[in-house]
Amino acid sequence: MFAEVLASLSKGFLVTLELFAITLAGAIPLGLIICFGSMSKITPIKAVVKFIVWVIRGTPLMLQLLIIYYGPGLILGSNWWGSGEHGRFIATIVAFIINYACYFSEIYRGGIQAIPVGQQEAGAVLGMTKSQIFFKITLMQVIKRIVPPMSNEIITLVKDTSLSRIIALQEVIWAGQAFMKTSGIIWPLFFTGVYYLVFSGILTMALGKLEKKLDFFRV
Amino acid sequence: MKKKLFGMIISTVLVAAMMFVLAACGGNKGGDEPAPAGSGANEPASEIAQVQANGKIVIGITDFEPMDFQENGKWVGFDAELSELFAAELGVEAEFVEIDWDNKILELNSGAVDCIWNGMTLTPEVAEAMSCTDTYALNAQVVVMPADIMAEFKDADSMKDLTFAVEAGSAGESVGQEAGFTVNSVQNQAAALMEVAAGTSDACIIDKTMADAMTGEGTSYADLGYAVSLSSEEYVVGFRKGSDLTAKLNEMFTKWKQDGTMAQLSEKYGNAVSIAE
Repeated sequence: MFAEVLASLSKGFLVTLELFAITLAGAIPLGLIICFGSMSKITPIKAVVKFIVWVIRGTPLMLQLLIIYYGPGLILGSNWWGSGEHGRFIATIVAFIINYACYFSEIYRGGIQAIPVGQQEAGAVLGMTKSQIFFKITLMQVIKRIVPPMSNEIITLVKDTSLSRIIALQEVIWAGQAFMKTSGIIWPLFFTGVYYLVFSGILTMALGKLEKKLDFFRV
Repeated sequence: MKKKLFGMIISTVLVAAMMFVLAACGGNKGGDEPAPAGSGANEPASEIAQVQANGKIVIGITDFEPMDFQENGKWVGFDAELSELFAAELGVEAEFVEIDWDNKILELNSGAVDCIWNGMTLTPEVAEAMSCTDTYALNAQVVVMPADIMAEFKDADSMKDLTFAVEAGSAGESVGQEAGFTVNSVQNQAAALMEVAAGTSDACIIDKTMADAMTGEGTSYADLGYAVSLSSEEYVVGFRKGSDLTAKLNEMFTKWKQDGTMAQLSEKYGNAVSIAE
């Protein structure tokens, strides 16, 4: 019994991990783009981006999942996502990347704006271009400053993946609940907590190490 | 500047909200007719033709023994086997997709699945939202409680002071409310059972089919049992409004009842399914 539960939960947790990794891979760069948008000097771009960030941060991720998965079929009359598990996974990824990119963008913005303007001015005096100033002066300092808040969001993401069960993505919580529904056994659901704890423990250590490694040149 | 920006945001919100409402209304109207609104002229109006063009019928299910459950990675069960027969009759494959039961109407109307076929109780909400087949099997709502107190509660009247856990939106919820019980709505029937096991509710009202499979020895609910049935009810299959698949499946149900296919299947799955006359 234990082996069977473990196999089923591990299969579910693999989906959780995939969702976690792809979301990070998509949201980290997209967040930077959104961040540039929200700091843009062109007012319409700035307004639109800020509006989107407001909507995404201002509504529950669970609701966003429901709207993104069911919305196209219900409102536009055509189901974009295709049938089956695959379509659910794609829709979940889209929802998670958009949601997390918006949060990341605000962290980036805070990091970038915390760098004293004097440094940019100094760069300009030395004849550096805008992109040179950003990549050679600002970015490295931003990265080390945003590691702690990013770690926070990343750990939250591990647990937020469980929201995807609302559109029946078969991740680890779903796998645990399946035993509850079919065999009337409760402990597998509670046991999923072990998976989350172990994984977030590993992440906490890895991110802590990264933070230490970047702890140079502190002013 | 600030005022301008604020005005822009407000107008965007209003426009977006209006578009949403208009689209939703349009969608609903379309749903009552065979051809959904916005479909092109080339698209077949018949869902049978559409399913045949796709080469598969997507069936929304949950893991619900003995109707649909997995054995060696394959979906089996009373409903699963009937679905396979129906798909074969249409000349297509049956694709089973696990859904969240709370979202079954969303799943169906968004086109994520073609039908809901999973021991679904005919409730007013279901009849309103879907095109339902004739009743093919019967079920009851039973009161599950700890076995050691079952003897004290022999009928519905003696249970007035208990608190009941029920699945939100389920048939159990409606019969509980009709009987004047104090009901707490939880996410699903399994959660309702857990409430009783954990002692957070005194009893729960769930499907008889489910209570048979989930309580007693070999489960986490070995100490639970049921003695009282509150209502009998009917299992149906749901398609999208206006679908011609409903009439086709009704035809098949009549045939399967007459030629004994259904009786054989019920026997195969431990006679847990009572076939409708």
